[in-house]
Amino acid sequence: MNYGILSFGGYVPTLRLAREAIAEAVGWAVPSIKGLAKGERAVANWDEDSITMAVEAARDCLQGLTCQVDHLQLASTTLPFSDRSNSGVVADALLLPEDVATEDLAGTRRAATSALVRLGRNANAAQTTLLLASDCRETKPGSTQEMQYGHGAAAVLLGPGDPIAVIRGTASVHQDLVDQYRAADSDFDYALEERWVREEGYLKIVPAAIRKAAQAAGIDLGEIHRFVLPAPAGVAKALAKELKVGAELFADPLTAVCGDTGAAHPLLVLAHALATAVPGEKILVVGFGQGADAVILETTARLAALQPQRGPARYLQQRRPFKNYTMFLSLRNQLDIDFGLRAERDNRTSQSAFYRRRRDITGMAGGRCSSCGTLQFPSSLVCVKCGATDTQEAESLSGLIGRVKSYTEDWLAYTPLPPYIYGHVEYQDGANIMLEFTDFAPGQVGVGLPVRMVFRIKDFDTRRHFRRYFWKPAPLLSETP
Amino acid sequence: MAKGIRDKVAIIGMGCSRFGERWDCGPEELIVEAFKEALTDSGIDRNEIEMAWLGLFYQEQSAGKSALPLSLALRLPNIPVTRVENMCATGTEALRGAVYAVAAGACDVALAMGVEKLKDTGYAGLPERTKGSFDDLWLPNATAPGAFAQLASAYAAKHKIPMDELKRAMAHISVKSHTNGALNPKAHLRKRITEEEALQAAMVAYPLGLMDCCGVSDGAACAIVTSVEKAREMGIKDMVVVKAIQLAPSNGVEMSSTDWDGSYLLTTRVAAKRAYAEAGITKPREEISMMEVHDCFSITELVVMEDLGISPEGGAIQDIRDGVFDRDGKVPCQIDGGLKCFGHPIGASGLRMAYEMYLQLLGRAGDRQLKNPTIGLTHNLGGHPFRNVASVSVFGLRSA
Repeated sequence: MNYGILSFGGYVPTLRLAREAIAEAVGWAVPSIKGLAKGERAVANWDEDSITMAVEAARDCLQGLTCQVDHLQLASTTLPFSDRSNSGVVADALLLPEDVATEDLAGTRRAATSALVRLGRNANAAQTTLLLASDCRETKPGSTQEMQYGHGAAAVLLGPGDPIAVIRGTASVHQDLVDQYRAADSDFDYALEERWVREEGYLKIVPAAIRKAAQAAGIDLGEIHRFVLPAPAGVAKALAKELKVGAELFADPLTAVCGDTGAAHPLLVLAHALATAVPGEKILVVGFGQGADAVILETTARLAALQPQRGPARYLQQRRPFKNYTMFLSLRNQLDIDFGLRAERDNRTSQSAFYRRRRDITGMAGGRCSSCGTLQFPSSLVCVKCGATDTQEAESLSGLIGRVKSYTEDWLAYTPLPPYIYGHVEYQDGANIMLEFTDFAPGQVGVGLPVRMVFRIKDFDTRRHFRRYFWKPAPLLSETP
Repeated sequence: MAKGIRDKVAIIGMGCSRFGERWDCGPEELIVEAFKEALTDSGIDRNEIEMAWLGLFYQEQSAGKSALPLSLALRLPNIPVTRVENMCATGTEALRGAVYAVAAGACDVALAMGVEKLKDTGYAGLPERTKGSFDDLWLPNATAPGAFAQLASAYAAKHKIPMDELKRAMAHISVKSHTNGALNPKAHLRKRITEEEALQAAMVAYPLGLMDCCGVSDGAACAIVTSVEKAREMGIKDMVVVKAIQLAPSNGVEMSSTDWDGSYLLTTRVAAKRAYAEAGITKPREEISMMEVHDCFSITELVVMEDLGISPEGGAIQDIRDGVFDRDGKVPCQIDGGLKCFGHPIGASGLRMAYEMYLQLLGRAGDRQLKNPTIGLTHNLGGHPFRNVASVSVFGLRSA
């Protein structure tokens, strides 16, 4: 049994805003951002946040595996709850048992890479850890960050077993170079001068961490096949020069198709790189921000068994491009569109009712009648099919593929991204549920269409600053070619 | 062995307020408006009413909970009043309570009142409401048009009909109801429309456009009922009698199993079967003279024609095209304009339908009077196609 990375996953939301739309909308005020108006950035749908994106990355990572998870870590600078276990919600959505140790990691963009360093230094551990990283950072209109950031999540499963990659060496350097920061009571990041950050930060702190990691691994930098070092394009080039390695060894930072996903980005780029890596590759992963983390991995022959339907590639392929800047602002809660009286509905959650049925809601657990075999949601005391009482055993429907039985595109009901699409979905073994759909554009749903389930925000309670989650049908993922 | 209520109870007086956006009226005024007409019509003294049933759906936003809205509005002499609520079948449920009390011999004269004051809620359609603390956690925040629109998607898929063709049949339904409503002085919407206007109306919930949706109205309707024997004693010759009132609520099959394909109204089929048995109807298409069905949306009326056994399965579109349900057709439907144009004050609607049957059977329907109708059917669907309470009632004439 070797300790190492057992699996990986990534997630990028389907909505993609063309950067030129940002430049067109705010270029009058900030002409300098026009130079950044290339490609597109990933935008979380209104019903996505760092929790839901982490769930999706985790599902990508865990697909097809049967291993036990002992420890769940969720790294993010944008956890939706400051006090409510965010990782606990993720654990319930993933149907992990109650005794899984859940941990929220926050406060720095390096939250995930620092966790990776810690796990790498404890490489004899018997525990399996699901390390998730997810970020959904808001940006000021007209800011460089609005152009550069994207939303996304990634996952790495570490533990004893037959790893796809082992950790060869790690390093962590702390330097309080405040390249950017977000105060606890602020919505946006405050970024300092880019040239200073490049010269004093990327080109001094990062190389120091990398050299330490290489030393720990007992290798020369020249032996490294890939550098997972998400940084602005010019910075990467200068770094390659500083490290005396080929710039072509730097993994695609997903700038053109996604944007910088904050705490998730090193793992997201790593997941993307692992999907096409070959056995025996030495990969360097770096996290930067008030210091740097560096981790050197080496892939094994086991890697091929997990490729290629893992990592962000399939999600990157599933695009819903848009150019409407006011729609972007509204989705990000920065433009208060008058959605009318229906948007005033009070979405107070009865927490005692939720607690009683939390597995039904967060885990989409229905009931299977042990008498007639019918699956039903929600579970009930009396079987809908055979009438037997107290025969239902909990069984989740979250992993099932459904089929649309009926649907509508409702322009009257309130939703932050009209129309409100919902309908009846049928599943195997007699189950049928009426559900709200997500990630579908008008005209895309039809009777008979197969759908998969995704974990999303169902409603916001704006008066009490709460959000509740449930599962929604979404388009099937296309397989990577 | 119980024999049901067929021919046991007579309606001796009915009233119906003008429906519409009654900005000038609260629930009290609507109740009194309907009651005055019914009391005058019956010729009895108000103190002869021994029990009452009040149908009201949106209690908080409309008139308030319990017996009180009715008892207070009419200053009733402390007689028992029961407030009932079964969503859009509420009016019929109120009538059922009064009719059952008379049939059971608990009283001689009972009042059924249905009322709804919707236009104080601030909404153009029906107001938003909670579905209960658990259902709010997972059920979509569906609107009524969105819930019923799904009937159309499933019906079109099942019968392999292009949506354009289905939409055209739905447009015919709306045109017909507007034509009928134009003849009704109490109706909310009294303007004729064309098929093209219906087809080109703004989309509300695909594939339902604005002209596929019924009016959201204020109104009240009521009935005074007594036993056939008592009516005879009162000297009434031709009396309108209740032949059946049946109710069928969903039990979860539609929403929680794959046994329902989403294209029809399961509970309406059950309620119709029972009502026909109670009323002694074996060939509904031949025996029923006229109908007021729950046309909350055009597609509802379309599928209901099949659910009631008037049209064969998959045959409603052809019947609609053939004008079977038009004023001059074989089984005229929504002669008063229906929910579509008379309007839909939820708690009053079932009684409004009975009111039209009552007028038609007695030959008192004025400009819209049909020729010698003998059997009238009313139908309500409370809730949504996948979770609802259906009612089917049959009314007829009986000579003393």
